[in-house]
Amino acid sequence: MFVQIKDLTFRYKNSQKPLFENLSLSFKQGEVSVILGESGSGKSTLLRLIAGLEVPSKGSILIDQAVMNDTFRFVQPEKRGVGLVFQDYALFPHMTVEKNIKFGLTKMNRKQKQARMEELLTIVGMEDYASRYPYELSGGQQQRVALARAMAPNPSLIMFDEPFSNLDSKLQLQIRDELQEILKRTGITSIFVTHDEEDARAIGDRIILMNNGKIQDEGRPEMVLQKSKEKLSLAYV
Amino acid sequence: MFKKNLFTVVTMVLLAALVLAGCGKSNEGASSNNNDTKKEEVNLYTSRHYEVDDKIFADFTKETGIKVNLIKGKEDELIERLTREGKATKGDLFFTSDAGRLHWAKDKDLLQSVESETLNKNIPDNLRDKDNQWFGLTKRARVIVYDQKKVDKSELSTYEALTEDKWKGKVLIRSSENIYNQSLVSSFISLNGKDEAKKWAEGIVKNMARDPQGGDKDQAKGIAAGEGDVAIMNSYYFGQMLNSEDPEEVKVAKQLSVFFPNQETTGTHINISGIGVTKHANNKENAIKLMEYLSSPKVQEVFAEANYEYPVNKEVEPSELLKSWGPFKEQDLNLSELGENNADAVKIMNEVSWK
Amino acid sequence: MYYIRKMRSQFNSWALLSVIFSILILLPALLIMVQLFAESNENWEHIKEYMLKNYIVNSVTLVSFTGLFTVLIGVSAAWLVSAYKVPMHRFFKWGLILPLAIPPYIGAYTYHGILNYTGVIQTSLRNQFGIKVDQKFFDIMNIPGAVFIFTMFLYPYVYIITKSFLENQSSSLIENARLLGKGSFMTFIQVVLPVSRAAIVGGVSLVILEVFNDYGVVKYFGIQTFSTAIFQAWFGMGDIYSAIKLAGTLMFIVVLILILEKVIRGRKQYSYSTSKVRPLQPKELKGWKKFAVLSFFLSLFALAFAIPFIQLLHWVYMTYDVILSAAFADLIWNSVFVAAVGSLLIIMVALIIANFSRLSKGWTGKFFSKITVLGYSIPGAVIAIGVLTLFLFLDQKVISLYEWLGLEPTLVLSLSISMLIFAYVVRFLAVGFNSIESGFDKVGTVFTEASRTLGMSVTKTFFKVDIKMIKGAIAGGFILVFVDILKELPLTLILQPFNFYTLATKTFQYASDERIHEASVSSMVIICISALSIFFLHRVLEKEPK
Repeated sequence: MFVQIKDLTFRYKNSQKPLFENLSLSFKQGEVSVILGESGSGKSTLLRLIAGLEVPSKGSILIDQAVMNDTFRFVQPEKRGVGLVFQDYALFPHMTVEKNIKFGLTKMNRKQKQARMEELLTIVGMEDYASRYPYELSGGQQQRVALARAMAPNPSLIMFDEPFSNLDSKLQLQIRDELQEILKRTGITSIFVTHDEEDARAIGDRIILMNNGKIQDEGRPEMVLQKSKEKLSLAYV
Repeated sequence: MFKKNLFTVVTMVLLAALVLAGCGKSNEGASSNNNDTKKEEVNLYTSRHYEVDDKIFADFTKETGIKVNLIKGKEDELIERLTREGKATKGDLFFTSDAGRLHWAKDKDLLQSVESETLNKNIPDNLRDKDNQWFGLTKRARVIVYDQKKVDKSELSTYEALTEDKWKGKVLIRSSENIYNQSLVSSFISLNGKDEAKKWAEGIVKNMARDPQGGDKDQAKGIAAGEGDVAIMNSYYFGQMLNSEDPEEVKVAKQLSVFFPNQETTGTHINISGIGVTKHANNKENAIKLMEYLSSPKVQEVFAEANYEYPVNKEVEPSELLKSWGPFKEQDLNLSELGENNADAVKIMNEVSWK
Repeated sequence: MYYIRKMRSQFNSWALLSVIFSILILLPALLIMVQLFAESNENWEHIKEYMLKNYIVNSVTLVSFTGLFTVLIGVSAAWLVSAYKVPMHRFFKWGLILPLAIPPYIGAYTYHGILNYTGVIQTSLRNQFGIKVDQKFFDIMNIPGAVFIFTMFLYPYVYIITKSFLENQSSSLIENARLLGKGSFMTFIQVVLPVSRAAIVGGVSLVILEVFNDYGVVKYFGIQTFSTAIFQAWFGMGDIYSAIKLAGTLMFIVVLILILEKVIRGRKQYSYSTSKVRPLQPKELKGWKKFAVLSFFLSLFALAFAIPFIQLLHWVYMTYDVILSAAFADLIWNSVFVAAVGSLLIIMVALIIANFSRLSKGWTGKFFSKITVLGYSIPGAVIAIGVLTLFLFLDQKVISLYEWLGLEPTLVLSLSISMLIFAYVVRFLAVGFNSIESGFDKVGTVFTEASRTLGMSVTKTFFKVDIKMIKGAIAGGFILVFVDILKELPLTLILQPFNFYTLATKTFQYASDERIHEASVSSMVIICISALSIFFLHRVLEKEPK
């Protein structure tokens, strides 16, 4: 198992009830997992916990056998080697595309940085946009740059928080296919968070159905979605 | 791209400030702590802000080689600062107007006695502290000024007479917060007792032309504007107005005349600006030298004349302007008493609702 | 265990620095508060019996009327400037902020100079037309007069905050109201006022704090308020106990107002999120409406800036040959120097505490952010004495160190400029902090988080991302603090080192001797430097990404 979550308990400071209680979950290497759920189900928070942006009150998270946090330790987000693509991309507005992508490349010399940046721009098909500022790009282009930026430092795990929610439906399909293709090609372990069943079905090797901080179901897309449909129709009967 | 430039500017300012902070320190006068070459200096806390003071200090430095360092502030805050600093103070001399305040500094144990024949010779007994903790350097009178057209000189006699019904709604005087008025009432407490002083304050409040407002000069302007007929003010303010660079102020002053009250009785209220050596002075000798210098006939003349004040040194004649107002009889009072009675005076004035 | 881990996750050096700075800021206030246990004396009874009621009535009257009028003028000017176009529109946008460059105490001297018997108005009436007027109509040295002065020179606080809110955040609401057929007036009443409520409250609470802490105007006009009472009790009666009781009462009121402000403002309403708001497009005005708005702008600008400015200019002309000398350049240098260094330090401390407070999710960060406000709620003179006491105390502690180093055991710390600058930091930290906090509020934490998942530590993120994203807020905060320090008086007077004068203290020296004309040159320089800074501030705010 590449990512192992055990007995995770987490509560937002301004709420009484914990969002997660003793949550356990794991992700396989090279697999594309999708966490599917309504808004408020806790799926984005789970990503933030894995990335180290939130501090759990209990439980442990391991990535690639290394403890990210348990009772005694807490590894800072910058030390986790995890890529995260934010919902509205969070591209640094004061930096060009080039600078954005190079941002995470700390341990390379200038030449290496340049090469890696160009490589990624090619992967996402944005070779001609290196000197643009984020506000000069369309939503789809920003999405691609955000992906390139997250992949640049070669993270062992990459996570996507509602990556298609800001795109129109036509673009959504196109980007989704591209993204799937890129992920397959690079073989990187990835976790998606979405509320869209279609997206989940199209992109996921595995789906985790989340509701109210609890895992309701998990497994291959067809099975999970079939079951949830049956449940739904049962409810109608 | 403006923002980028601005940011560079801010960064540069930061660097510049750091560099300059280094430079700034070195010309900080008294605070520089290079002890290898002990400079001859004297440190003065003063609440007087006249250019002529600076000139006199510069002359003193030229003659004696002693550098004069200054902190110019408000009287009461300077006293508080001296109190807080205690033994650690750098101040050698405290210079302020009004005997009441000097007495208060003495009361707080901030000053020390000085024995100097020169000072004793130059400054009359009643214008210095009983224990020689402070010395008057310039003298002013708190006089009545009146409208030449509306008031005849013969109608005026004493401060007390201003409380008569005849002057109802005609007397202009500033607020009780002001130390000059507090000292005036203090002097009445000494001369006539608390009850009489309170009666006087009551009478003045009753006869006020308006709620007290502004400074002494505003009282004179009030007469010119027809708000009242007589005003109580310090003599030098009247001198300043007569010589103002504003022609309108001169015009106002020319409509008015000075009257020295209580000539037949207790005398006109006088006060001083004065100086004392601080209790923990590091440069006591230099401090005394400066005080003696300031009381010397040569300096007294410039010193007093610049602000239309009377010299304390009897050997020196007052300026032509002051001479034209004529000689007058002063309250026969050791000015220390003004300070001793200050607290009572403030209370009396609050009690009679003198704003 | 959980808490230890949590602490660890919270970037130690930032927390540590925040704690250190907060303690440094708290100390002077605490040292004064300790004196509360000093023995009580009869003065307090005397103050209570004869004066306290008067202080409260006067202070409350001043604050409420000034608050009311600054809201009326500030909000309507902000609305008219952002919603309509009149001739000279671009000028008024920042011209109406300019009165902020005139410290109220200088405004008060100047207006009294204009209106009194020898002032320009009465003089020309008298000499040109032979009219002698009743002084009552020209008397400004009373409570209504003080309200006028405060309103004229403080309304920009309300104007500036409301305007930037209206311009940047409300376009959709206002355009909707217009589309729904609401007239301008109704739009103003039904939409603009309610939605900008938080911004207005933010501005007016600054005004209220300024009025409560003002000493110059009320002292000159002879109005007894809390702040004059504190001075009189402390410095006049030497009664620190009564002074602190009064200061404590004042602090209590101020804290109450600040809490009220937070409650009403309720954080979220204050700014919508960043990217998707369009600026409001001003509408061209025609006919009488155009002239009505134009004359409102013109008269406001005249009363609050042009008239006092011209009067001062005239006085400068009368006195500059006496006043201007080589020493005057030193004054300017001193003023700019302490203001610049003070502002830089404040911005630095504010950045550290604000960054810590926003990234730490617990109550600790919030607590530190509240401490910064403390200095703004205490009168300058009280802070000055607190700082003096602190430095003397430190001095005593290090005296043995001095001796060991072979130095003279005296006030090395106490007399240096650093004490003065430290006091400025305590006093005005809130001003810089507010600006930076609202800058951080606008950008949110997502960029920081993005940077951290890309392998940058909190500190690296701060320099590479955070600082650059709030450049505008930093520059804005710097300028506001700079202008405040330039104008500051009571604190500077108490803590000035030897032979160290600033423009403000020089102005005071002349004014306290009733030599208003001589005070004009230094006043003028203060105003010009402030005005320039305000122009820069305007440029910064305009260029800031919406």
